Amino acid sequence: MKKLTKGDIEKVDPAKKDIGKNWIKVGMSTCGVAAGAGEVYLALLEESKKRNVEIDIRKCGCQGACSAEPLVEVNVEGLPKVLYGRVTKDVAITILERHVRNKKLLHDYIFEIN
Amino acid sequence: MYKMIEARINGIIVEVKEGTTIMEAAKKAQIKIPTLCKHPDLPPSAACGLCIVKVKGSNKMLRACCTPLEDKMEITTNDPDIVEVRKTVLELILSNHPNDCLKCGRNNNCELQSMAADFGIREDIFEKFLRDIPRDGTTGTIVLEPTKCILCGRCIEVCQKGQDVWALSFLERGMDTRISPAGDIKLSESPCVKCGQCSAHCPTGAIFEKDDTHLVWDALKNSDKYCVIQIAPAVRVAIGEAFGVVGKNLTKKLYALFRRLGFKAVFDTNFGADVTIMEEASEFVERLVHKKGELPLITSCCPAWVDFMEKFHSDMINHFSTCKSPHEIIGTLSKTYYAEKNKIDPAKIYMVSIMPCTAKKYEITRSDEMFASGFQDIDVAITTRELARMIKQAGIDFMNLPDEEADSLLGDYTGAGVIFGATGGVMEAALRTAYNLVTGKELEDVNFIKTRGLEFIKEAEIDINGTKIRIAVAHGLSHVEEVLNRIRQAKKEGKEIPYHFIEVMACPGGCVGGGGQPYNVTDALRLKRAAAIYQDDKDRELRCSHKNPYVKKLYKDYLGKPLGEKSHKLCHTDYKARPIYVR
Amino acid sequence: MEKKIIYLRDTDSAQQDRINDFFTLFSNELRDTNLIEQVQLVKIADIGLYEKGVTVKILPENIVYIGIKNNDVKKIIEETIKNNKIIKELLYEKKSKQIRAVLKNCGYIDPESMEDYIAAGGYKALVKVLTEMKPENVIDELKKSGLRGRGGAGYPTWMKWNFARGMNSLEKYVICNGDEGDPGAYMDRSVLEGDPHSVLEGMIIAGYTIGSSKGFFYIRAEYPLAVERVQKAIDQAAAAGLLGSNILGSNFNFELEIRLGAGAFVCGEETALIASIEGKRGTPHPRPPYPSVKGLWDKPTIINNVETLANIPQLIAGGGAKFASIGTEKSKGTKVFALTGKVKNSGLVEVPMGITLREIIFDIGGGILGNRDIKAIQTGGPSGGVIPREFLDTPVDYENLGKLGSIMGSGGMIAIDDTDCLVDLAKFYLKFCVDESCGKCAPCRLGGYQLLRILEKISEGNGELEDLNKLKKISYAMQKASLCGLGQSASNPVFSTIKYFEEEYRQHIVNKRCLAGKCKALVYFKILPQKCKKCGLCMKNCPSNAILGSREAGYVIDPQKCIKCGACFDICKFKAVMKE
Repeated sequence: MKKLTKGDIEKVDPAKKDIGKNWIKVGMSTCGVAAGAGEVYLALLEESKKRNVEIDIRKCGCQGACSAEPLVEVNVEGLPKVLYGRVTKDVAITILERHVRNKKLLHDYIFEIN
Repeated sequence: MYKMIEARINGIIVEVKEGTTIMEAAKKAQIKIPTLCKHPDLPPSAACGLCIVKVKGSNKMLRACCTPLEDKMEITTNDPDIVEVRKTVLELILSNHPNDCLKCGRNNNCELQSMAADFGIREDIFEKFLRDIPRDGTTGTIVLEPTKCILCGRCIEVCQKGQDVWALSFLERGMDTRISPAGDIKLSESPCVKCGQCSAHCPTGAIFEKDDTHLVWDALKNSDKYCVIQIAPAVRVAIGEAFGVVGKNLTKKLYALFRRLGFKAVFDTNFGADVTIMEEASEFVERLVHKKGELPLITSCCPAWVDFMEKFHSDMINHFSTCKSPHEIIGTLSKTYYAEKNKIDPAKIYMVSIMPCTAKKYEITRSDEMFASGFQDIDVAITTRELARMIKQAGIDFMNLPDEEADSLLGDYTGAGVIFGATGGVMEAALRTAYNLVTGKELEDVNFIKTRGLEFIKEAEIDINGTKIRIAVAHGLSHVEEVLNRIRQAKKEGKEIPYHFIEVMACPGGCVGGGGQPYNVTDALRLKRAAAIYQDDKDRELRCSHKNPYVKKLYKDYLGKPLGEKSHKLCHTDYKARPIYVR
Repeated sequence: MEKKIIYLRDTDSAQQDRINDFFTLFSNELRDTNLIEQVQLVKIADIGLYEKGVTVKILPENIVYIGIKNNDVKKIIEETIKNNKIIKELLYEKKSKQIRAVLKNCGYIDPESMEDYIAAGGYKALVKVLTEMKPENVIDELKKSGLRGRGGAGYPTWMKWNFARGMNSLEKYVICNGDEGDPGAYMDRSVLEGDPHSVLEGMIIAGYTIGSSKGFFYIRAEYPLAVERVQKAIDQAAAAGLLGSNILGSNFNFELEIRLGAGAFVCGEETALIASIEGKRGTPHPRPPYPSVKGLWDKPTIINNVETLANIPQLIAGGGAKFASIGTEKSKGTKVFALTGKVKNSGLVEVPMGITLREIIFDIGGGILGNRDIKAIQTGGPSGGVIPREFLDTPVDYENLGKLGSIMGSGGMIAIDDTDCLVDLAKFYLKFCVDESCGKCAPCRLGGYQLLRILEKISEGNGELEDLNKLKKISYAMQKASLCGLGQSASNPVFSTIKYFEEEYRQHIVNKRCLAGKCKALVYFKILPQKCKKCGLCMKNCPSNAILGSREAGYVIDPQKCIKCGACFDICKFKAVMKE
């Protein structure tokens, strides 16, 4: 890997950070993994391919709401950024179909915590 | 230049060097702070929690043993609150300690017991919880009794840091913490060299010498046995401590004592030391002048050192003097020379060695050469501490006994023989005779001051007939490796070996600080014991082994000449590499 | 009209089905007003408010209405959805009680991607330090910030660093203490797993400041994911030249290495941790000398907790003064707590110092499970203490918690309700400390054991009043005479529970009753005939056939056979089974 320079770091503007418009992040710290995030993450990867749902699927750390793990954050253009909690494999598939594809939010899984 | 600091302890102004602990500083103000883990001879381990004191401006209590006094500190070492906490801690320690005092090896001589007495402990206020850990007496020299251990860590400190043996360590944690050889093996399977420093530093009855006094009593009451005895140089200057006298040479009272105990003949290990010197100095000259054998020559009269060398430094075997240790020589000669001269059946002779050392118990059956007389040369070796108990059992007013002499055939000794008991002594004694062997002349001044004292590695250069003889003296096993590495380094680089002659003693201070000596040893005490030994040397008419008339007689009548066939058979041994761990 | 979303949530936990009625009300109203296509109505699982009635949040405007009644529905649709008018009497102006500073990246960036960290502004503080700041400037900023160690003791970080900086030594070390061991605390794990580069950056800055070129991550082996991610971060940083020689073109060199803790709690104590890294038995050593003077391999060493180090980049980037603008007079910045116990929303929270316990438990944590009564809050883990509910309005900082006989600790916070027994709680923590005592020093090793035995005796119904004195006596001796922080504080749970709840101990000792029903020997189950509907469910579910009777005669519990499992208590729908 090329060595970074001071300039490389200085020029970054975190306010403008853009990691894509459509993405799903799965909380994959120990709390999430213990609650089943690994399975959810795999399901999202596999099912999105299988169902041809175009979405960027990523891992992230613990968001704090450990009692609601596994947590899945979804950002789809035209909808607010949403945090789903207690996501199972089935819920994950529903997220792909209903939320990502049909742009409808799921009932009973959204956690709006502070 | 040290920075001095000034502080108040219980209102008394003390001025000490920066870095002095509160406990040390308090001593200067005649204040004693109780502790069970801090030994004056060792660095603090901060294990017991009894030495807590208060410092003005803090609501914490500090450990006096390991906290350096700071400038302007105001310390209170004693108030009802502190005493109450100390008492609680002591009661906690006692809740984990058997009430076995009456049957304990340390009864009347136990730091925990004294502390309990001082604090007026009258009941077990906490639930008794005793550990069930088996006793380990496998070495036949020292016994571990972990149930009585208060985990002060002194034994581990001396074994690991002081002696570099690492036989003992803490295992497990919390309430399961215990002293043991690593891996939970038996002590006899561990690297233990039986030096006994652990037992000499233990505050309770958790590590003690194997008590062999019953063997001596049994022999004494057996009319078939012809009981003889010898005492090592360091015993005579330490036994008095059991009777309240420090640094006094009690040789002649011991001779009298032994006869009253029923021994038929009383020998002195110092005579054996003179013989050892005859052999060892000859060996040195043989290697130095006649180039037979490797230099440097390394002394071998310390059995813990021999065991340590065989385990950790067996590449040095060729450097070792093959000469037996003095008490083994007395042992062999008593059952050969003495028996022949006095027409006694050697099978009946029962030879008792009084030693400052626990490793001597191991040495007496160490190898086949320890049976050179055809019998076990030494039947039993007991330590100074065991002897003190025997004296008390016998009901003899030891300190008021008349002076007597030893049986001269194996009893008369020179100044060279007695100084074996202090670090540097063997070297000094050997040089006195080696000089004579090489030059045919006598030294004008037999005192080699540079080999004396408590510096851990002492070096000197002596001129013998134009040859500069470089010597080194090391004591405390952790200081040996440095010296040996200098030899190894020189060998590796093909350079001249830095020494011709090396003396090693396992225990700090040499035998005066031996593992079988009375408790509470410190450097000050080691020096007092050594001083009594050097005084004996100074007071002797003859101070060189080769001048001892009875030594001359021994060679003329019996052994022939040093390193001769007969002395080789009776007075020499050999060595082999031994595994550090026996599995 | 822009597409709107209505989040719908009943924040009253007692009302079970009401939300569906409201959902229907809203749906019908939307349908009637022909807005059903423009507005998404979503029932959500949590809205961050508790016991505030039916609540809605309207997006994208973020309007929150609380305490909504049936007849408000029409109004909301009419005024707010249709005409963008705010209904003042329903409006709730929600202020977030949390500030995400340390956790700013946790859960937002990919912890395995350095690019993500840099994109979020990472390593800017390092660049700033290396280009604009001398070590003494860093110390100045730390001093201004008022940052104190987050590991528990709260020692000012600048002082620690400054001691080490002032030491004249060619070798110095920086250690990150990731041996988080308090039961229930996992703040450090989350940071290491969620944002490892922030800790790395903090360590590199620490190295630059004190003049060290070598750092160690000491992470407990029970955190394999943290270890994996930190190792990845180290590798990435090294490959990018953020570790190694001449970092970012400066003449500063720094390397990092991970050492694993082998599961001993005491190795979180700094001198024991150092011994552990050196390969020795992990037992504490007397201080002074402090590690900043004589630490790892006898060289000056600073040991900082994960959270402390994770604070460094944002502190440097924003400046010490900005950091100090949050918090109380003596405790600055934010603190991460692992909120657990009988709280509705357990999890990690990051709050400004000075927030009250009540705000944390009720506003963030959502209150107590099942709306039971809060009895106390335990902070500081096994070294901490309990704080009774009278002190719920205490602002949380180092001094205030200390005054109440507890500690900030590393950040465990456990809500205790009336079904928790404090004797049992003290026993739990003590058991932990007894298991984890290194065994070196007598007051901790033996005192802890004796305390535990006495507590066991009390909870088994064999307590005597004299035992209370013994508990106090031992606790005091342990505090004063133990060598390290573990021993000195191991008795805190006992000390503080006796201090505030002596009456509960007396209940156990004198009346032989555990009112919380935790100490099995001291709880008795009884069927109340006046409430019993004679359904027989309890008898069916009793595993030890201890319930006698019939549907006609009613039921009684045979105390001889009862094993006190509580099955009858749990199964009875009529609350006819009681504990006494």
